[in-house]
Amino acid sequence: MRFFFLLLPVLLASMVSFAQENPYFVTYDHHMEEPGNLDLEVSATTDVPRAGQKYYFAPWMEFEYGVTARWTTELYIEGQTTYGDSTVFTGWRLENRFRPMKREHWINPVLYLEYENLNEASRIQKEIVGGGSDVTSPNSELRNTSAHELETKLILSSDFHDWNVAENFIVEKNLSKGEGFEFGYAAGFYHQLATLASGEKCRLCRENFLAGVEFYGGLGSTLNFSGRNTGNYVAPVVSWLVSDNATLRFSPGFGLTHESSPVLFRFGYSYEIQGIGSSLSQLFGRKR
Amino acid sequence: MRRRSTFVACSLLVALVTMLGQNPEYRQDPKWSAPDDAARKVNPLATRPGATAGGKKLFLRNCAECHGNGSGIEKKHSADFLLPVVQDQSDGTIFWKITNGNTDRGMPSFSKLPEMERWQLVLYLRTLKPVPSPR
Repeated sequence: MRFFFLLLPVLLASMVSFAQENPYFVTYDHHMEEPGNLDLEVSATTDVPRAGQKYYFAPWMEFEYGVTARWTTELYIEGQTTYGDSTVFTGWRLENRFRPMKREHWINPVLYLEYENLNEASRIQKEIVGGGSDVTSPNSELRNTSAHELETKLILSSDFHDWNVAENFIVEKNLSKGEGFEFGYAAGFYHQLATLASGEKCRLCRENFLAGVEFYGGLGSTLNFSGRNTGNYVAPVVSWLVSDNATLRFSPGFGLTHESSPVLFRFGYSYEIQGIGSSLSQLFGRKR
Repeated sequence: MRRRSTFVACSLLVALVTMLGQNPEYRQDPKWSAPDDAARKVNPLATRPGATAGGKKLFLRNCAECHGNGSGIEKKHSADFLLPVVQDQSDGTIFWKITNGNTDRGMPSFSKLPEMERWQLVLYLRTLKPVPSPR
């Protein structure tokens, strides 16, 4: 086992991959993680609070692994710090995405299933359903209310003339208490700034940038189905292939309703490691 | 005489390394074939050889992980681009295979790359020299 930990940094350094992540923070498209690759990502959500609310910073970490070319699984760990209040661990999520169709089509569906073990202090707002997060109550109160939730999404995504267009329909059920089924949506589009790769190795070339816009928000629940009294945002998104193995993403989200924060800022850094699945299985004796 | 035998030994070694570096066991998936209209597509960059360098960069980013870096060393089940069974396919067929992938065999779709970048990949693949299959 000691041998494994000694070898791990060498293994990681030698397996750098070069794939660029899409720029969305909330919307999913139909592109899955490549089989055997592990994508490590650190991201955060913060906002400009309304009067009477407190500034918060909510980081999360993702471990995204391509099990097969049509199945991606992902583990999230998240927390948050509220200025003048406290720092708390807010829980974890395990998601799976399945792509039922083998080939590319005009519209490509993906089925999404996630289990969430969170408390009510969660602020990352990876998706917004129902009426959105409670950003007014103190952490000491919110962290004691745990929520076991099951979330499903229907992801529809198309690549059309070098544009990606994606729509997500979200249904979430809190298994811990009777809130009915909560609904939400996300949609977006993006484009690579240059569509022909230059022969030179460059970092600030347009080909290394993806830019677009996403829209997301809650749609109420079965108890109160409505777009009113929910958070809704429009958010420009941009990603930059900052080095051969890493992507930086940034998105300012602008609230469209009174229940939304005036501005949400999201940023993320992802680092992809290729072939980690097969390398680890070889390390433990499986033949290639 | 000695120089000649050294030359022959070196040539045999190079041939052996090339053959061993290839993936002669690679067999096309018979179910993985491009529709006729896709197979007939012509590479719009065929008259722009300057785009090949960008294709090489994209190849190293996206393909070399499984298919090797063009020297014929790759994962067991991945296509070896040096083999005639790959090089004999039309540009349109290779473009279609890059776009759609073969998800049952672990080849992901690369439709996330802009169309011109996928044609750049085809352009670069054509510069790889095919080696006859060992009988």
